[in-house]
Amino acid sequence: MLSYNFKYELKLLLRSRWIQLLSIVLLLLFGFSTYNGLQKVEKRKKDIADAHLEVKENDEMMLKLLDSVEYGMQVSASRWTIPTQPMAVGNYHPRVAAMDPQPMTFIATGQGDLFTHYVKPKVSGDDFTLNFAEMTSPVQLLFGSFDLAFVIIYLLPLLIIAFSYNVLSAERESGSLRLLASQPIGIQTWVLQKLGLRFFWLSMLVIFTLTLVFFVVGINPFSQIALFFGLLALVLTYMLFWFALTFLVNLWVGSSSKNAVVLLGLWVVFVLLIPSMLNQLGNTLYPMPSRTIMINEMRTLKAEVAKKQDEILDNYLRDHPEYAINDSTQFRGFYHRYMASQKLVKEELSPLINAYEDQLKKQQSWVASFKWVSPSIIVQESLNQMAGTSTQDYESFRKQVIAFAGIWREHFLPFLYNNQDFSQNDYADLPKFQYEQKSFTTIGAIPILFLISIGLFAVGFLISNQTKKAGILASN
Amino acid sequence: MIFNTFLKETKELMREGRVRIAFFIVVLLLGIAVWISARQYQNVNEQYESATAAERGLWDNQGEKNPHSAAHYGTYAFKPKYPLSLVDQGVDKYAGTSIFLEAHKRNEAQFSAATDQTGLARFGDLTPDFILLFIIPLLIVLLGYNSFTKEREMGTLTLLKSQGISNWKWMLGKWTALFLPIFAISLVLFLFAGILLSSLKDFGVFNWESLFMMLLVFTIYYMIFTNVVLLISALTKKSGISLVVSLCVWIVTCLAAPKAASNIAESKHPYPTRQEFAANVLKDKKEGLDGHNPWSKEAKLLEQEVLKKHGVDSLHQLPFNFDAYRMQKGEEHEAEVYFKHYNYLKDQYTKQSKVYRSLAAISPYLPTRFLSMSIAHTDYATHWDFADAAEEYRIATQKFLNDNFAQNSEYGNWRYQADAEFWKTLPKFEYDPPELNAILSRNSSNLWIMGIWLSASFGFLAISIKKI
Repeated sequence: MLSYNFKYELKLLLRSRWIQLLSIVLLLLFGFSTYNGLQKVEKRKKDIADAHLEVKENDEMMLKLLDSVEYGMQVSASRWTIPTQPMAVGNYHPRVAAMDPQPMTFIATGQGDLFTHYVKPKVSGDDFTLNFAEMTSPVQLLFGSFDLAFVIIYLLPLLIIAFSYNVLSAERESGSLRLLASQPIGIQTWVLQKLGLRFFWLSMLVIFTLTLVFFVVGINPFSQIALFFGLLALVLTYMLFWFALTFLVNLWVGSSSKNAVVLLGLWVVFVLLIPSMLNQLGNTLYPMPSRTIMINEMRTLKAEVAKKQDEILDNYLRDHPEYAINDSTQFRGFYHRYMASQKLVKEELSPLINAYEDQLKKQQSWVASFKWVSPSIIVQESLNQMAGTSTQDYESFRKQVIAFAGIWREHFLPFLYNNQDFSQNDYADLPKFQYEQKSFTTIGAIPILFLISIGLFAVGFLISNQTKKAGILASN
Repeated sequence: MIFNTFLKETKELMREGRVRIAFFIVVLLLGIAVWISARQYQNVNEQYESATAAERGLWDNQGEKNPHSAAHYGTYAFKPKYPLSLVDQGVDKYAGTSIFLEAHKRNEAQFSAATDQTGLARFGDLTPDFILLFIIPLLIVLLGYNSFTKEREMGTLTLLKSQGISNWKWMLGKWTALFLPIFAISLVLFLFAGILLSSLKDFGVFNWESLFMMLLVFTIYYMIFTNVVLLISALTKKSGISLVVSLCVWIVTCLAAPKAASNIAESKHPYPTRQEFAANVLKDKKEGLDGHNPWSKEAKLLEQEVLKKHGVDSLHQLPFNFDAYRMQKGEEHEAEVYFKHYNYLKDQYTKQSKVYRSLAAISPYLPTRFLSMSIAHTDYATHWDFADAAEEYRIATQKFLNDNFAQNSEYGNWRYQADAEFWKTLPKFEYDPPELNAILSRNSSNLWIMGIWLSASFGFLAISIKKI
């Protein structure tokens, strides 16, 4: 029976032009979205390369200046920008701390349009003033991006629904169900086979078009074989979930139009409602402390610190006697006071800033524990993680940059407090930033999603057993 | 005849389980959404009040200080939330809420809510605008997709034709039956929102006119959807096909077109990155007068010019502090540089808007979205407006401080400290969002596009109904 089903289902799908239509639609959707994703990645790469180039050019200028000054020549630059002063190097010649795109970044924009991909931390200013938000039109953020993740999460289920909402009901409505009932096969097995075949063909189409699109736009999917198979596995299990739902609805509900309405309702619930409700509940349960109030607190603190700068410097030097020993001039200027008080401000502000990190963590764990309610959330999260554009990735980047900003600052402090000039020889020792990609990918999502789908199929069987008692031909 | 058709269709809808359930769910969701938004609105406004007061307190109580130190110390401008954001949150979540106003620098608005949330935030929020823009059109599709096809399928079409009913009356009856319940939901929502907003203690710039205008925009949006769904139902032979086609229209209109528009707009007219922007500004700044640098070429030029103008031969003989005067001139140069670069951003955005408008040809969602955000004061243009007002205030504040410095001290005196009472004389930052009329004239092209959509869809419906 399976072989018959296989043969005729394929003929049917070909003759009704479903396969042809689906291939074209999939090609268009995958093609357009992959192209969009790649464009974003290209722009990101170019921006970062430009930034590096700019730093390189600036460095050459700086070295020339240093050379001239060391030979005792007159230079035309403003006094306070001359790079023999360590603070001038720290402020006017910052390094690029960049987050390079990952090989699969093009599949999901994720949080990538919201956050910046490179910053240049300076010695002055605190970590807090490092702005990690990208300069984007908020309209774009509101609408989101037409990326592969959007096609997979939002549109693929709709294609599945359109493809198979009336597998059983169409037979009933066209009268061929009676014919089928005379065949030696259980109705649920028959629906399962039919849906299984459709799943099989759609999977083939998805795998084929995706691979084709990747090759056409110039990505070799086999160079990242593990990630590519991970992506395919994720997409197929997500599709399986939606096929399981259509299986349930086909057996359970009844007329074609009712099936369609119910399936669409489920789509709205899983893709639109649950994610937004979870997000809102997370925000209500673990609200972010007000940023405006934080600004007030920070300002009050800074105002207090500014009044006690001399005292703070004295305390700082008491903690660092090595500076008193090595420097004979004992000159103390603006930056000596500033850097000492900056350190204090940082320490005092850290509980305030940690409050945000903590709340975000709580929100994340809240999402993590409820994400299983909707497969769309799991798929979005997994795709973002594969692409390296998830919230955690940007958080990790932020942390690495802040750590680097600390290193950068610390690097110049001995120069400053020893009143030692920055020279050409010191150039090679300047700290450099290297972004370290941490993998947040959770492979566990795929088997669990798979189990959920299998569970739904099982439920379908149980329900259809009851229908069988009532008689499949009984009108509803 | 129109009325009879209307009555029959309404009864039919009421008797169907899916309609009752769908209606119930939509109303419930709307209720939840309004409740959440109202709470959030109150919360944000309380924070705004307290933050503004606290910030002003800090400014007023600086004590004796050099005016330029105070300029560096700076102050903050906070963006208030407007009443109609209760209905449409617009881009509020993605735009910053506070701008730091300091000497020499124009800062961007900081701290958007989205940067403080998890990735889930990108799915969207359960807010009234989500229901109004996405779910209600879907409801129209579900209620109306079989309006004409069912007559074919049940065989009642022949019966109807034998009655000699005029097609357009028949169509109008069906149209009213589909549209009225939708209109009723939106009317109730807007009335409820209006009553809720006018009962809140501080309802600021809320006026019923804007609310009414918004209702009108959404009514037109729903009319367009009703027309399109009925048109599809009239043109297709089977309910199933009609449903799938209407759904495709919904997907393209509400989901795909906005996202595609955003991608196209960005790749055609990109914004610079934050760092690039800063670097460009810095480059231009360096080419002009730096208020802190008396040795530069520009500073020397200015010096000679001022000496000549006042007919004296040394800066000490000037009746004001030249340091502060130079500071102010530098400030003016920097303001110009910022003006230029922010104008570039605005230009890019205007070009992006054109992309959105051209894609409105396939999606009435786009003009509706932009209009409703504008009326609610939650669109990008209002954000620009606020940022510009803050910049003007910043420039005025710098002048206020530098003038005090120039008039009350002599050249070379950087030790001068202004009186502790002086800070209180700085006018407060006030911002009034654009009026409804200004908004409508700014959005006239969006209004036109909606008008074209409405009349074209009506026209096609009228033509196709003749052929049934």
